Amino acid sequence: MSFEADVRRPGGSVDGQPPSTPTQPTIQIAGWTRVGIFVRALCSKPASALGFVIFVLFLVLAIFGPFIAPYGVNEQIASEAGQPPSARHWFGTDNLGRDVFSRIVLGAREILSLAGFGTVIAVFFGTTLGLAVGYIGGWFDEILMRIFDGLLAMPLLLLALLLLGTLGPSKNSVLLVIIIVYTPIVSRVVRSVVLSVRQRGFIEAARLRGESLPYILFREILPSVLPALAVEAALRFSYAIFLVASLGFLGVGVQPPSPDWGLMVREARNNVNQMPWAMYYPAAAIAVIVIGVNLLADGIKRVLLETK
Amino acid sequence: MQTKSILKAIFTLVILSTFLLQACGGQPATPEPTQPPAPAATQPPAEPQQPSQPASTEPPAPSGVERKGVLRVATQPLVQVDPATISSDPEVFAANHIYDYLVDVTPQNTIAPRLAKSWTVSEDGLVYTFQLEEGVTFHDGTPFTAKDVVWTFDRLRNPDSGYPTADLYANIESIEASGDLEVTFKLKQSNPFFLFDLSDNHALILKENTADPTQFNGTGPFKVVEYSPEDRLILQANEAYFVEGQPKLEGVEILFFADQTAMVDALRGGQVDLVMALSTDLYSSLKNESGITLLDAPTNQFDVVRLRSDRAPGNDPRVMQALKLGLDRQAIYQLVMAGFGRIGRDSPIGPMYAAYYSEETPLPIRDVEAAKKLLAEAGYPNGLKIDLHTPDTGDRPELAVVLKNQWADIGVDVNVMVEPESVYYGDNGWLEVDLGITGWGSRPYPQFYLDVMLKCNAKWNESHFCDEEFDQLATTAGTTLDEAERVAAYKAIQKLLIERGPIIVPYFYTQLAAIRSTFQGFVLKSFAGRSDLRPVSFVE
Repeated sequence: MSFEADVRRPGGSVDGQPPSTPTQPTIQIAGWTRVGIFVRALCSKPASALGFVIFVLFLVLAIFGPFIAPYGVNEQIASEAGQPPSARHWFGTDNLGRDVFSRIVLGAREILSLAGFGTVIAVFFGTTLGLAVGYIGGWFDEILMRIFDGLLAMPLLLLALLLLGTLGPSKNSVLLVIIIVYTPIVSRVVRSVVLSVRQRGFIEAARLRGESLPYILFREILPSVLPALAVEAALRFSYAIFLVASLGFLGVGVQPPSPDWGLMVREARNNVNQMPWAMYYPAAAIAVIVIGVNLLADGIKRVLLETK
Repeated sequence: MQTKSILKAIFTLVILSTFLLQACGGQPATPEPTQPPAPAATQPPAEPQQPSQPASTEPPAPSGVERKGVLRVATQPLVQVDPATISSDPEVFAANHIYDYLVDVTPQNTIAPRLAKSWTVSEDGLVYTFQLEEGVTFHDGTPFTAKDVVWTFDRLRNPDSGYPTADLYANIESIEASGDLEVTFKLKQSNPFFLFDLSDNHALILKENTADPTQFNGTGPFKVVEYSPEDRLILQANEAYFVEGQPKLEGVEILFFADQTAMVDALRGGQVDLVMALSTDLYSSLKNESGITLLDAPTNQFDVVRLRSDRAPGNDPRVMQALKLGLDRQAIYQLVMAGFGRIGRDSPIGPMYAAYYSEETPLPIRDVEAAKKLLAEAGYPNGLKIDLHTPDTGDRPELAVVLKNQWADIGVDVNVMVEPESVYYGDNGWLEVDLGITGWGSRPYPQFYLDVMLKCNAKWNESHFCDEEFDQLATTAGTTLDEAERVAAYKAIQKLLIERGPIIVPYFYTQLAAIRSTFQGFVLKSFAGRSDLRPVSFVE
């Protein structure tokens, strides 16, 4: 834990010396080089490399999907309904004559953006709250943590279903559900790190210097929390993908005809004997991206531990 | 620290149990369907086994009818067993073989005698007199008389009972046992469909003064040997059944499954012989299976897409006309029905109603430009944005997706809202929304739909349609005793609905079933639960 305290001292963050070896980067290095070194460290293990490649692949699909997909997202070709995979339709067509491959490609943006935005916002709120309750403590901490305990006592999916039952199914509701469900989890992780840091000397020093509360929280404590937070955020992201897909499958999430993968599995389920491809490919897409992001999260954790 | 964690555990438990209780909805815990243990052990005290005579004490049928074969049917579990409250396919199916109707509806949608062997109707159509079968006995050995019929229908029409039949039979003035085996019904107003009403799913004849109508004391072709809820219902041929030579089977076992895929797997594996109400997917998957006969029956069941006609945008009939012009009906039929069933004609009077059904008026053919023009004239030159509500059951979500696609071409931006049935029908939300898809069940005659769905003050007038000419035609069709006049009225109604009706009926469903080929003589009915096993025989 010591190095964060050293490097993030105000005024101390100048890129003074180059890194001695690529495997032992320090945080002083400029942005892009740092990313490069991080990625190289990540890819040194095959599993993490695979996770990284999968993630980038789906990211590319999400960004350039409309240029890749050969058919429209809701383009129904009545004469070609229920066709098995072929050169014309790589993943076949569903019972409404829609190209399964195109829908999976176009669905990548949907699911990554929804899970991604949800995670980012949840991490933002979770971090802020976690820092605040961890540092301030006292009654504020007790009350908020008991509320979060209450939320966490419920199985996540059940909580999500309850919330969606009240909000009504829509894209925004799903986003809100991700935020509400994941904020407590993130804030608990952050809080636990803060508790171990707040008694440190440099915090004491900042307080004595008369720094403001936000300064202490975000400039002094946050850097110590970042490694744990990065891993947690990556994990949350993979679970968020899973949650979006699950809610879509249960029919309470994104509404048809959106190319949400969970929803695609749900819709294809009725015809699984006649056109199994319409169900298996989106199900495989969910599995692949969740596994990929999980491997990536593991890799991030490993690299961060190694750098320490 | 320890007290803290104990408190936390208790808190968690309380919250969890609250949700668990809510999820259970107060329903009693039901046992998992398992292999049948000793029958005595499975009988819950609340529903003791019917004290029917054990089979061994009964002499073999003197008529010399040779009964053989036990037919095993896979169905969903029964929830209701009192004939007055049954509704689902399996509930009606079981009851139809334990009890008898006064009159029956044939697969061709005509009336056939059952416990009533003949009847006469007075000139004014107000008095129906039924002659009942002789020598019929209930399963407990007591003879069947006219009093049982009177008691049964008095029970069903009692307005305080809360039974769904109370409305249906409100038109009955009186029911009398005019003889030992003669019953007279007097009506308040003539009703040309009264015989169909008498064959309503609930109108199974019970013994007079039956204290507990869940005890299966009927006159029907099969007796209950064992009923273990959520598991199985074992039936044995009623040797004293009044129809000569029926039933031809030795017994029927109704095995309960929660899931249709499991039913079909059991059929494939030889554990069951008959599965009804199949999805098109499962039906198609059985096509190449040897030893299995596939059955289908046209039905009057349909989904209706309706637009509220009493407020914008539906209050301008041109909007509905534009929506109809935007439809590619053949594509809807191919995509949503996968080529099963029939294309609908925007009226609830379907092809099953034979003479009442008409194809005289042509349906609007897809014309995107004309539709856009109509929308512009109605005040929507830049198109229209509208929510389409649909229950999440059946093929309705798929229909919604196809509609969204087709209507996008005419500038109508549809936002699909798929809701659980409890939400769609709950709090009468389905009567409120502007654009919705509603499923309507199969009825033996079309007047019902007109009276409850489309007349001005109809109970379930979901489209809030009010048209004087339509009301007149519907009233004529529902009261006249002149069949030709009724046919003419129905034809006029179909024309009117195509031209200015608030509904789109895109298709009619098909009823699908599969039976092992060793059983012969099974005829599938539109309402699968009313299919009859009496003439079914087992062939080696």
